[in-house]
Amino acid sequence: MHTIIQGVILGILTGGVYALMAGGQTLIFGIMKVVNLAQGAMVILSAYLSYTLFTSAGIDPFLAVLITTPAMFCLGVAVQWLFLRQLRREDAAELSILVTFAIALAVEGVLSVVYSTSYRSINASYANTSFTVGGYQVSAVRLYAFLLSVGVLGLLYLLLHRTRFGRAVRATVQNPEAARLLGVEPARIRALGFGLGTATAAAAGSVFGLIYPFNAGSHYDLISQLLSVVVLGGLGSLGGAVVAGVIIGVSSSVVAVAWSPTWSQFTFFVVLLAVLLIRPRGLFGTVLRGAL
Amino acid sequence: MTALLNLDSIVAGYGAGDILKGVDLNVSEGDVTCLIGPNGAGKSTVLKAVSGLLRPKTGRVLFCGDDVTGLGPKAKLLRGIVHVPQDRSLFPAMTVWDNLLMAGYLKRDTKALKSRIDTVAGLFPIVVQRRTAHAGSLSGGEQKQVELARTLLFDPKLILLDEPSIGLDPKSRRLVFEAVGQLAADGRTVLLVEQNARSGLAASDRGVVLEAGMVRLTGTGQALLADPEVARLYLGAAARPVTTTTTPGGTE
Repeated sequence: MHTIIQGVILGILTGGVYALMAGGQTLIFGIMKVVNLAQGAMVILSAYLSYTLFTSAGIDPFLAVLITTPAMFCLGVAVQWLFLRQLRREDAAELSILVTFAIALAVEGVLSVVYSTSYRSINASYANTSFTVGGYQVSAVRLYAFLLSVGVLGLLYLLLHRTRFGRAVRATVQNPEAARLLGVEPARIRALGFGLGTATAAAAGSVFGLIYPFNAGSHYDLISQLLSVVVLGGLGSLGGAVVAGVIIGVSSSVVAVAWSPTWSQFTFFVVLLAVLLIRPRGLFGTVLRGAL
Repeated sequence: MTALLNLDSIVAGYGAGDILKGVDLNVSEGDVTCLIGPNGAGKSTVLKAVSGLLRPKTGRVLFCGDDVTGLGPKAKLLRGIVHVPQDRSLFPAMTVWDNLLMAGYLKRDTKALKSRIDTVAGLFPIVVQRRTAHAGSLSGGEQKQVELARTLLFDPKLILLDEPSIGLDPKSRRLVFEAVGQLAADGRTVLLVEQNARSGLAASDRGVVLEAGMVRLTGTGQALLADPEVARLYLGAAARPVTTTTTPGGTE
């Protein structure tokens, strides 16, 4: 039982980070109806930026968030403006899959050239520190990463629900033509929304290297996991992504500690298939559809 | 009365096909003008061409004497043209209050907006009574009232109302036409598209019959209600005796 509870604690902490990465993904889907296959590559790009800031300037990855997040926001806006804005609305959903996959491959290619394909990780002074709470071990890195995720998702929630821009984003998600008739420019919202989704992933990416070793090709595993989280939560539902991130984090972590880490990755897809058999639109696909 | 809106030979449509094939139309300031006609005549397309959702291929849209043909919805909104589309224009997963605040997206003056909400709540108390409810949880009639309340927050010069009574039960429909009557009493200029031609014309100062993308008849609302041909084609009943005249084609 102790092992299982230890797995649950680990899973909640990891799930929070998945929720952050997937939150950006589901935000982009909600606003643009685009399945962004470049999201994993953006996480890895951010991880490399954080790695570089750490190794060359000694900047802690949690502080690096303040640099990587705005930088990746700008990159996200630029990517949307340059590559996705041009797509005809009727073809956008299908073509964006190809376009974002091409962007992922381009990012992977550039990173492979710049950093080679060797695995990297960020070894901060507290990388192996852990706390003992009630007899259970809590990794300091994972706890900080979890708190970062909660903080960023909280800010994202406040941005979407308490600001004029956030109202415009939600309005565009729910009824783009009506939003346009109230003076909202959907093209601008789509660009800023894509930037926001990328920035959210970047915040998680900044601390990714503290938890996992990575190389340029790590985005393949990551995007399949992120899509699992987003689909499980219900496409376009931010709350769903958070819940699904924690469910998948906990289930894979419990499997890892109770049986074998080999089966941990497989758990993502088993949970996904099991839920989709019962709820084909995901956990919150109908309740919160369009609600962000 | 001066024409607030003037459509001059508007041709508009989607892709290669034209839905409007040279529409001429005047809307006088302070009037409620009702567009009627069969399905596919282009009634909603006229409103889209006016609000900027659809850019006319040829022809001119003049508003307050200015050529606004090529302007988009945002620019038209800033000039005082508010379009309430046929499909529900509320945001269902947002609260009634957030839906109202969307009226302040362009002008950003929250204090002035909240003061206007207080004023509008006098006409449509539902915006206060249900302010925390999700718009999607309201009945069709309640949603329409919130839409109209939000429209008034813009203090518009011209309101484009597309089939406001569609899909509503008789009681809600009556409330909507009462609200249109209130807009008229306040001196608002309204261009109304209405499938329920009898109710639409009865609530209007002027009526315009659109057919196959062209204006076929114009006249006062009462005159069109009394016109035997209009009655036979669009009102589904015999006309009352004619007391005023209608003008075939074009604007008067």
